[in-house]
This record gives sequence, C-alpha cells and structure tokens, in this order.
Amino acid sequence: MRLGLAIMLHTAVLKRAGIAAFLAIVVTGCSDNNASFSISEKTRSLIPEAQAGIAESPGVVALLDQKFGTPQTLKAWMKLPVQWGGAAAKVEVFAADGGEAKVKFTAEEGQTFPEKAGFVNVVTGAGAGKTFSVSSWDAATGEAVLTGLDGGSLAAGDICSIDGGSTIQSGRVLYMRHCSHCHGTAGDGNGPTAQYLYPRPRDYRHGVFKFTSTNDMSKVSRDDLLRVLRYGIPGTYMPSFLLMKDDELTAIVEYVRFLSMRGEFERKLVNELASDFSEDAVESRLKDEQRSDIVGELAKFLAEDLPGVVDGIGAELEETWVAADTEDARIIPSVPRVPDSDESRRRGRELYLSKTLNCADCHGIDGAGNGPQTMIYEKNPVTSVPYNEPGLHDVWDNLNQPRNLHTGIFRGGRRPIDLFCRIHAGIKGSRMPSFKNTPHEDIWHIVNYVLSIPFESEPGATGVAAAPAAAPDAAAAPAAGE
Amino acid sequence: MKKFWALFFWFWPLVALYLCVIAPGRNWWFPSKPLSTLGHQIDGLFYLILIIVTVTFVGTEFALGYALWKGATKNPSSRAWFSHGSHKLEIVWTIVPAFVLVFISLTQLDVLADIRVLSRFPDSVKEAPVAEVMARQFEWRIRYPKPGTDLMTSPQPGDLYYVNEVHVPAAVPTMINLRTQDVQHAFFVPRLRVKQDAVPGLVIPVWFEIEEAGDYELLCAELCGWGHYKMKARIVAESPEGVSAYLTRLEREQNEDGVQEAETASVE
Repeated sequence: MRLGLAIMLHTAVLKRAGIAAFLAIVVTGCSDNNASFSISEKTRSLIPEAQAGIAESPGVVALLDQKFGTPQTLKAWMKLPVQWGGAAAKVEVFAADGGEAKVKFTAEEGQTFPEKAGFVNVVTGAGAGKTFSVSSWDAATGEAVLTGLDGGSLAAGDICSIDGGSTIQSGRVLYMRHCSHCHGTAGDGNGPTAQYLYPRPRDYRHGVFKFTSTNDMSKVSRDDLLRVLRYGIPGTYMPSFLLMKDDELTAIVEYVRFLSMRGEFERKLVNELASDFSEDAVESRLKDEQRSDIVGELAKFLAEDLPGVVDGIGAELEETWVAADTEDARIIPSVPRVPDSDESRRRGRELYLSKTLNCADCHGIDGAGNGPQTMIYEKNPVTSVPYNEPGLHDVWDNLNQPRNLHTGIFRGGRRPIDLFCRIHAGIKGSRMPSFKNTPHEDIWHIVNYVLSIPFESEPGATGVAAAPAAAPDAAAAPAAGE
Repeated sequence: MKKFWALFFWFWPLVALYLCVIAPGRNWWFPSKPLSTLGHQIDGLFYLILIIVTVTFVGTEFALGYALWKGATKNPSSRAWFSHGSHKLEIVWTIVPAFVLVFISLTQLDVLADIRVLSRFPDSVKEAPVAEVMARQFEWRIRYPKPGTDLMTSPQPGDLYYVNEVHVPAAVPTMINLRTQDVQHAFFVPRLRVKQDAVPGLVIPVWFEIEEAGDYELLCAELCGWGHYKMKARIVAESPEGVSAYLTRLEREQNEDGVQEAETASVE
C-alpha cells in the first residue's frame, strides 16, 4: 500500500517534470541557439597556438572573430567592399528636450540616408560607442528625433552611423531562413540538407562562383549573383527566388559576398601559416627542433609579420571584389552574334572538333559529355593524392563531369551571351577552361552550334563546314530546324 | 440541472446555424471571391454541401436536445424504450444519407467534367495551350512557344523560357499544359479555385478563365520534399496584347548577345 502510494507520487512528479521539460523545449527549442561560423578543416590542421594566438597576438580563429564576428554579432571590416547598409552622418544641430532630442544630420561624403532608420550609433565625440533609438526620421532632410538618451548627448560635428549594418543584418536573417540549410551558416556548402543534393551546393569560401559575366580572372559581380538568385540554376537544386523583393535579394547578395570574403580571408591566412605551423609540419620539424623554439618563432611571426599579412589580404580582397563590378571586368563581345545558320553551325562544329579548341576531348565527339578526359584518374592538385573515381574534378573536390550538351538544360543561362561567357571565361572552379584568345566570331559559331545540339536529328548529325570556296554566305543561309 | 443539458445542446445548433447563414456573405471559407468562371461553380458546390451539412448538424443536435428534454421531464418511474437493433431505424438512417450522397455525387458530375474532361473544354482552348508549366523541386519552370507557333510537347528551337512567373490573358479561356520533371506536385491557385496534381510522365491540360486582370499566387499543394514551401510562383493575368508584348520582350531578352545591351548602356 505504502509502496503503491510512493510509486503514484513518483509518477506524478515524473509527469510534472516531463511536462516542464516539454514546455521548455517548445519555448526555447532543442538546438543550440548560438549559431557559429564553422572553422575550415585547414584551419583546424594548424597547431592550437596558431589557431588561438599567443599572448597579445591573435591567431587565425581569433582574427576571424575580430574581423567578421559571429552570426549573432556580425562585425564590419570597413575595408571590405560590402554594402553594410545605413549611412555615416555628421551631427549639425542637436537640441535636447528631456529624454528626447531633435537632431539634424548631414550625410558624409558619398553616403545616402537610408529610407527608414531605427537606431543611431555614435562613432566619434563624447558619446562614442552609445546607441540611441530613433522615433522619427526624415530621409529627405536628415532630421531625426532620438529617444533613450539616458544622459547621453551629442554635439555638432560628432560622427554617427544611422542604421549602420542594416543591409548586412537583414541579409543575414534572410540567408539563415532561405539559404543556410544548404549552403551552411558560414557558406561552406555543408548545411543540414546539403548531403542529400547532387550536385552539392556551392561552398563560397574559395570566393569562386561558376556562372559569371566577368573575365576569366575576375570574381563574380553583384549582378551575376542577383541573376542566379532570381532565376535559379536549372539542372541543380538551386531554386529561383524571383518573388522576393529587390532589396531582400540585394541584402542576400551582400551577405553572400561577406561570407565569401570571410572564407577567402581564412584560406589565405591559413596558407601563410600552414607550411610551418600545421600539426604535420611541426611534427616533422620536431626531429631537429624544440617545440618551444617553434612556438617562439610562431609568436614572433604572429606579433611582427601577421598584421602586415592581414592588411595585404584585406587590400587584395578589396581590389579584386571591387574590380568584379567594374565595366573592365565584364565580357562584352567585340562583334554581335553571328546570325544562326546551317553554315555557322557547321563552322562551330568544326571548331568544336578542332585540335586547338578540342572541345570533344571532354564533351565527346557528339557532345554527350563522354570525351576521353572523363576516363582519366586525376590527382588532387593540392594534396597530389589521386581521386577515387575517374573523371574531372572541380576546385571543391567534387566529381564534375563535362556537360552533356544534348539535354537542353543550360545551368548558367540559355541566352547567347550566357554561352558566350561560358566559353570566353570558362566555368570558374571547374575544368572548363577559358577560350578568351579565340576570335569572338568563332565563339559565336560555337554558341550557335551548341544551341542547336539539343535539336539534332541524331547525335553528331551536324556536318563540318564545306570547303571555303563552296561555302555560301553565312548570313544568307536558311536557319535549319526553325 | 437535467433541463440545463437539454437547453445546452439546443443552444449550439442555433450558434452553428447563425454562423453558417452569415458565412457566405462574409467570405469566411475562401481567400477571396472566386475570380474564375469555374470558381463560381466550385463555390456553388461548396455552399450546397454547407447547406446539407448545416441542416444535418442542426437537425441531429435538436433531436439530441429533444431526447434529453424528454428524459428530463419524464415520470421517473416510467420504463425506457429500448431501441438498439431496431431494423426500421437502421434502414432509415442508412438510406437517407445514401440518398444525400448520391445526390451530391450526381450534382457535382457536371462541374467535374467541365474541369477535367478535355472534350468539355471551351473550343477556343482545346488545341491551344499557351504555355507548359513544368513543376520541379522546388520551382515552376515555364515554356512558351515561339510567338506565332504552337506549343509542342517536346522543346522546340525558339521556345521561350522563364521561371516562377506565368503570363496569361485575362477574361478569355486559357489552357496550360501541366507537367512535372521529378515527383508529384500540385498546381494550386487559391483565388481561381484551380487545383490539379502534376503527375510524372503525364501532360495534364488545365484550363481556367480569369475574370480580373492582376497577380495571382500559384502554390504547390502536394508535399513534394523538403523545399515544398519554396514552390511559390506568380500568375500574371493581363490583356492579350499585354501577354504578346511580354512575350516579345522575353524573346528579345532571351536572344541577348551582350553587344546591343552594352551599347545602349554606354549611350545612357
């Protein structure tokens, strides 16, 4: 009897504890709420001192945190060409009235006021570091009413940032909602759903994007990223986000660029340290050196050389990412598209099979994506270890076989200019090389041929061009199949 | 207290009756008024069923309240009537619902045929789908025939492509060909009351006549995978001239060679 009562009491307690636990999970969720940017494998291969830093000198992980922060508290490294959002402004008039204050701002050179403003961060002056909230804001005149002064004050001439970082923050929120489940929190292409996808989602950390309208050595432009977001990538899992608003899409683009720069920064920094201070390197150095000497050398390097290296990487990131958005980087054909015709297609086929371009080496004689190169065993260019499977691999170490041109699916877009760019600049990160030295007219012939392949009566049906003397005028020849 | 329960069970059918009577006027059941011709017929069927269900619910509840009231006011010494196993009752409450169901199934046949049976489609659309809507994990890929030609089942040179946005003429019957590239999806436009599964291997004609020009939300209504929620697109209904202007624009964009575009940009 007593035992039974004890058990009943016990189950009552258990039940209550269970309900409490259930409610707690419902309210707070069961995963860790602190998202973090993952650290790359290469960084983890360094000795702990190189990752964390020694005494006052930060290591790779500490530097990443200093420059880029965590997903919760993003940091803006102003050197980087990212549109962080908001505007820097100078205080012109400040009139406090109790807890409120009327302020008139003038935008700093090159800055435009945001349409909406929620808060003001004080950058210089007596109140530096403080944040005030904005209760009313007029973007046309720069007049604001600030609240929550709490004893703080501004003076004419102080520099403030109005809604600083608003773009990158809304980009982060949208990215976490729509993109991170495939592309990962840090843009490492390894989110929870990534393992179910083929091809794998892009890992941004190389700073390399495949489908661009920029030259072979240039990075991706903002417009290219926007295009991929709007129209998706057919033939892959990347869907179209056409229905999102323009400002949402541009915010995501900025955040993706931010993550790419972060990843590139990490890679470049680790490359500086890896040859001397990775676990493997240190192990082999221990044969004739003392560990304390190596750590001492590292401490000296971190303290004296690394700041310069960091500045150098920052300058390189700034230069390359800015350049990608300039007109100089954009591919503009020197001649308009050669009108599509049988003759042009035959010429394209001839070039396709030619020794100099040798498209068939990878794409196969009939364009089925089964050229001899798909059979070879490649070595990883970084580690020199042969891959397990035959075929061509991209810089992300994924098997990336040449496209079967018969499917009618054009991942980078089906406009003639898209195909022109694919041939002119190659597909970055993949084994598709750049043919920028090929005359533009010839590239157009190949484009015409490639666009016609899905409609061939049978694979390889397009003949090669007739002898030059007998060749009819390309423009006058009738377009086949239309 | 016994009478309270009888009154309690009489009260709720009155509430239900009130709600069902005012519901159609307030449009509680649907996202908007129907905006396609078929939508009116579908809503009509819905309200017919709503009336039948309301009458049934109110009637049953009143009968329940009546039984309770009789029990509450009965002489406590009288004997109960044992009805379990009554053949007459069993037959009545089997045949009456059966008639109701047969009535509903016969009434809806016409509407179903108008939606699904190709020979009942308006003559103007039977042979002339304006576009192919290809569902795919997780987006809608659209293929229009080259302006001036007919849509073929397989892609043709000159076809125009877009994604997640379909332009169709308003105020005239329109037909699209629905397909899927991978798994089952469903073409669902709530405001038009159009819902049709896309089945692998089939080309399914779907027709509608949109009454008002404007943007309509197109959703996937078949749980198709982890990205099901992403499958949202837009149907733009506009005048036939608007549609052909759109297709001309699309054709120009799709044939861009990057030279013309660069020239206009440098002039500006």
